[in-house]
Amino acid sequence: MANTFKTFLADDVANTRTLLHENIPIPGALVSGSYNNKNIKNFTHKRFQSVYDYPYLSSSANHIFDISFGTSADSTVYQDSSCVDKNKKIQMYNTMAQILAGHDTTGNILKFDVDGDLTESDVNTKHDDCIFLSFSRLLVKDEIKKESINLEIGADEYSNPSETLVKVGDYGAATNYHINSPAGEYGILYKDAATSGNEVGLVFYQAGIMVLTASVFGDTSFGPSNDRTETLIQSDIQEISDVIRHRIKNIQFNNTVELNSTIYFCRINHNEFNYSSNPTYLSDSKIRVKQDKTDEPVSYITTVGLYSSNNELLAVAKLSEPLKKTPQNSLILRTRLDF
Amino acid sequence: MAFLDNSGDILLDAVLTDAGRKRMAEGTFRITKFALADDEIDYSLYNVDDSRGSAYYDLDILSTPVLEAFTDNAAGLKSKLLSITRTDLEYLPVMKIFDNAGNVQNSLMNEELNSFIVPVNEDTLKILSLNNRPATGVLVGESRRISIDQGIDNTAKAFNSEIDASLRETQFIIEIDNRLGIIRQASSKNTLLEAAYIDDDDIASYIRTENNTNFVLSRESANLANIETGDHYPSKTSLRGQFGSRLEFSIAPSTTLQDSDFLFERIGGIFAANVLGSGYTSDVIRYIDATVRVIGATTGYRIDIPVRFAKLKGSTGDL
Repeated sequence: MANTFKTFLADDVANTRTLLHENIPIPGALVSGSYNNKNIKNFTHKRFQSVYDYPYLSSSANHIFDISFGTSADSTVYQDSSCVDKNKKIQMYNTMAQILAGHDTTGNILKFDVDGDLTESDVNTKHDDCIFLSFSRLLVKDEIKKESINLEIGADEYSNPSETLVKVGDYGAATNYHINSPAGEYGILYKDAATSGNEVGLVFYQAGIMVLTASVFGDTSFGPSNDRTETLIQSDIQEISDVIRHRIKNIQFNNTVELNSTIYFCRINHNEFNYSSNPTYLSDSKIRVKQDKTDEPVSYITTVGLYSSNNELLAVAKLSEPLKKTPQNSLILRTRLDF
Repeated sequence: MAFLDNSGDILLDAVLTDAGRKRMAEGTFRITKFALADDEIDYSLYNVDDSRGSAYYDLDILSTPVLEAFTDNAAGLKSKLLSITRTDLEYLPVMKIFDNAGNVQNSLMNEELNSFIVPVNEDTLKILSLNNRPATGVLVGESRRISIDQGIDNTAKAFNSEIDASLRETQFIIEIDNRLGIIRQASSKNTLLEAAYIDDDDIASYIRTENNTNFVLSRESANLANIETGDHYPSKTSLRGQFGSRLEFSIAPSTTLQDSDFLFERIGGIFAANVLGSGYTSDVIRYIDATVRVIGATTGYRIDIPVRFAKLKGSTGDL
């Protein structure tokens, strides 16, 4: 009986899970607005600012990340009576905090904790003035890879912030991270090394959000004309975002994609698929590749088709070049479908 | 000593077809079997006259460039590879339309249009008829039909000898654009078939096996049992050698074509009836040229049959 299909057996199908990582470098030139700021999108609500990799009006532009700023109610910035847009600043803090830090047992929003212990009540261990970097799903994919973050921040005077470069990373996070957040796993961001006192923020890996304390961006001459506290008080969120962009020298991390694959083992025995129904295979019904009936049949595989039970073609795989099949060889073509 | 090549298996990345994506969305995605194909290969490049020896016979074939996968499920895997246990076969069966010049009128294709013609209503049929006799190739009534002969088309395998059982086709798949027509029994104009399935591109597949004796004819039921070798070709069958089976069917126009000109305007054209020959009027007829594909389910061989759906411009009604 001639046949064109071969049914998969239970042992011919295997499921695998693979974690893929990509390196995501975001140069400071792009962040600072290399396209005459046309890659920086401002909004009339002034609650955050968006950074694109190309002028955002172009269809080629991709969203990279958003910058925002928020203060807690305990912050001196918020408590200053002259604070500009203070309601927006506390709204941004609370919005991010309730998503990333969660609530206590009485329903109050928890604040961002310096060492990751969200249950502590000591206000001195909290981040009150926070810069939020929310990265696009396009870059983060499933999550940021732990211990892959490398931020370079200019912490010197506003006119030349790179004079003093601060290196920030989630050092040691591959083996030391926290899981007590409603937004998944998070790590501590340190400057220079993972030692107590060097904590400058938090990174929420699945959410793709970095929370940085404003103090890491310098103090004196933080803004164009004021020190840090005055700048945070007298500027709206958009103006603060401009200052932060001016001070970011480099952002780099690895993302993670969880790839689930099904591998179909197409086992081709020596006595299978040696003939073809290709119209050119025959000349007046005679097989072209055989001179004599004792010659072996030959076929050349270029395509693998995966079918449903009612012969519907569901997936196709191609070889890079024709593969010779004769009764003298058997093959296993591992055909992978990724989900 | 060099290292042995242990790359015994090959890893390929598969892409979902449009039908696969549809099944995935519906939650009915389940792969149960595979097939192999060689669509890009031109076996006429197999050069047995190469003086350098047999290692060079398939040099051109092996350097054939291979295209990326098509995601249209109807366009992929046209030429499937066959599994036949015997390795000593020298001839393989083909499928040919039984429309040779010496053949009976009923299964001839129209020579002028080089296709079969399906009139969608009575008015069109009248225009396509001369002295109340439909033009050649017009599929109407219970005698006109499309006949496909399956077997060996070579006198090296004598007509009166029995074809190898593994080479006899027992199941045919007929594919037609479901918007245009429906497969029907040739000898019964009201016996319309129900499609086995209709894919995402509106291609309906009908399956007929040797148990469907009104469609799949054996040598006996095709009245070829007592024909002497030499008398069979071309008047009794389109094959010069061993006969396998014959598929007979006809096509009924879809209700869409009968009730509306939309598809004719969108994917069709117009022709004057008198292109069929002298005596026909110059009435303008709308048409859609389509292909009906017949595939041997076991032998994998396929044949594309040209079919023209015709509708007299401005006419309504059905057959």
